[in-house]
Amino acid sequence: MLPLYRSLLYLYPVPYRYEYGEEMMAVLSEVHAEIGNKSVLLRMLFGTHEVGGLLYGAFQEHLRSITGRSAMFSPRRFKMHSEFRFPKATVTLMTIILVAILVAIDRAKAIQASIPYANPQVGAIKAAEFAALPTLLIALLGACVAGVVGWAILFALRRSGIHRLSEIGPSSGRSSSSRLRS
Amino acid sequence: MGSLPITEPVLLILLSLVQQPRHGYAILRDTKEMSDGRVQLSTGTLYGALGRLLDEGWIERFKEEDSSRGRQAYRLTSLGKRNLHLEVSRLKQLTRVAVLRVARRET
Repeated sequence: MLPLYRSLLYLYPVPYRYEYGEEMMAVLSEVHAEIGNKSVLLRMLFGTHEVGGLLYGAFQEHLRSITGRSAMFSPRRFKMHSEFRFPKATVTLMTIILVAILVAIDRAKAIQASIPYANPQVGAIKAAEFAALPTLLIALLGACVAGVVGWAILFALRRSGIHRLSEIGPSSGRSSSSRLRS
Repeated sequence: MGSLPITEPVLLILLSLVQQPRHGYAILRDTKEMSDGRVQLSTGTLYGALGRLLDEGWIERFKEEDSSRGRQAYRLTSLGKRNLHLEVSRLKQLTRVAVLRVARRET
């Protein structure tokens, strides 16, 4: 289990790992030695507990390094629980995913080692001649001109609309409404 | 004091350090013993809590001189002691109220 714990420590942020990594490994070794004579089931439970703790700890440290916040002192965290709890199924699932990732990495390494390097040799790279560049530039210029013309038309319409509105006084509005009523 | 109240594992860690400085493994054992095995901190959880307590200035870290391995140990700072006393007072008051209310309900 100790190599697994050591590999899980790589999930922590680098500065944190440098600061506490060796100390944590020393504690894990001591705890591991203490439960060495216990039953297999107990050791597995303990291992899952430690793996879950390390994964959660790594997540917390990354969160803290991003947000700079400590959730520990938040009043909302005050519950008479032994520690943060999440469903046991989560721990199992996380462990299964971790094992699957490790197995996949191993398989990938094996496949990589078994296949010889068979990529064809690439010759000197020649500079490509980009024939469509003038066409693209003309199209871009055309789009700019169309945009300017469109904007000018809209601006003229808006100006004339504002002038017409300013010409309509409150009296003319009333007269039109009276006309409607009659 | 905006940082109170604190969680039970943190309270146990602080209580573990109130008598004497301890290193990580000793804190783990002591918290388990104090809670009659109810609180079993994992190493990841313990070091997460210790890191935050160090950042808040509640505890400090130093190298054990008498240890052959030169392990790092932790002890409470004056700020940590003051906050621990505040938390204990808060819990005492809460317990007093709880006992009174429960007793009144039972009579």
